[in-house]
Amino acid sequence: MRPPAAFSPDDIVVGHSTRMRAIFDFVKVVSRSDSSVIITGESGTGKEVIANLLHHSSSRRHQPFVAVSCALFSENLIETELFGHERGAFTGAIKDKPGRFEMAQGGTLFLDDIDDVPLSMQVKLLRAIQNRTVERVGGTRSINVNVRVITGSKRDLKQMVAEGNFREDLYYRLNVLPIVLPPLRERREDIPVLTDFFFKKFAKARGADVPVVSNAVRYAFSRYRWPGNVRELENSCERIVQTCTCGTVRAGCLAAGVLFGGGDASPVSVSAELAVPGDAPSISLDDRLREVESNLITWALKVSDGNKSKAAELLSIKRSTLGDRIARCGLVEPVSRDADAPVGLDETSIAPVAVPA
Amino acid sequence: MVSREQVETVLGRIRPLMQADGGDIELVDLHGNSAHVRLTGMCAGCPSAHMTLYMGVEMALREEIKEFEELVVV
Repeated sequence: MRPPAAFSPDDIVVGHSTRMRAIFDFVKVVSRSDSSVIITGESGTGKEVIANLLHHSSSRRHQPFVAVSCALFSENLIETELFGHERGAFTGAIKDKPGRFEMAQGGTLFLDDIDDVPLSMQVKLLRAIQNRTVERVGGTRSINVNVRVITGSKRDLKQMVAEGNFREDLYYRLNVLPIVLPPLRERREDIPVLTDFFFKKFAKARGADVPVVSNAVRYAFSRYRWPGNVRELENSCERIVQTCTCGTVRAGCLAAGVLFGGGDASPVSVSAELAVPGDAPSISLDDRLREVESNLITWALKVSDGNKSKAAELLSIKRSTLGDRIARCGLVEPVSRDADAPVGLDETSIAPVAVPA
Repeated sequence: MVSREQVETVLGRIRPLMQADGGDIELVDLHGNSAHVRLTGMCAGCPSAHMTLYMGVEMALREEIKEFEELVVV
């Protein structure tokens, strides 16, 4: 059994993505009805949050909201969980126990991971939803239940129906009002809003100041694939808030997955994208290009350990051209280091990547 | 034997982000199949940064260079 999720409307973050705005508008409309809703989305996209929002925007909001993950129970257990049992129905059933349907009486029942419900159970579920009655295991009496059923699925049920793993009749019964939540990587424009929200939330919970987030971190967040979706972003923010010692979130705070998973984070993409400040009145193209150029040359020289021919090859330019450009950018050539050379000597030659103020 | 170039290639993948934040990860030395690195700049003094980079970079190095053994932050 999962603890009832404490819900407050403050947990809802409305981002900029048009898809999510459309979903929130749709939720407003369908919260007035009593029809079945099915929420499809990858793990961590916020199915339970939307189910909660639906319940709390509906006229049932003063009645219970019961959430059950159908993936948690074995085939036998799920029936007693959902429908309850009578005393003596099986060994250990020492007293009557109401099921989740009865517990949600008058309110909303959220059946998450409906795609994990075995076929044998699906038919019983269909009957309960269709007739609005349940029978406890070991009981003979039909109990009327007035619940609104919301289901959550991480897989496309239609596909499962086609494969024979989900009953078609149940599918059509559940799929009255479908809501499809997009994965976070398909609404990257919401990542900054969500990031700020989570940092604020966790800093507040910890009694700390809200950390400043560097542009490099924002860049890495915006590029990462987020396979765990919003939940993963939330956990990343929590981890950073708990471990931050300086009040500023920088690249060094990022988990390896995010840091390396920036995808094709090449010096080109980073400096080019970071170099465009959002609110600056104007930028100088020449200055920016020179910064990018000098960053790339510095990078190539370092990777090739100061070997200009190799560096030129990395940059796909001629060896002689590289010499000219080094001079033009005013870069000091890093000396090839051996183990004893004081590190940091060539530090002066590293032009910092431009970060907008 | 692990070459400097192999290690630098892996470090190069996170370096742009580190540099954008006024820091860097320097390959100080190679000892056999192990690498000694140093964090410089803004994240240098942060124990959390040490930990995350230590684990993350070592993992990435082992993934890409199969003979790689150990990452030592000096």
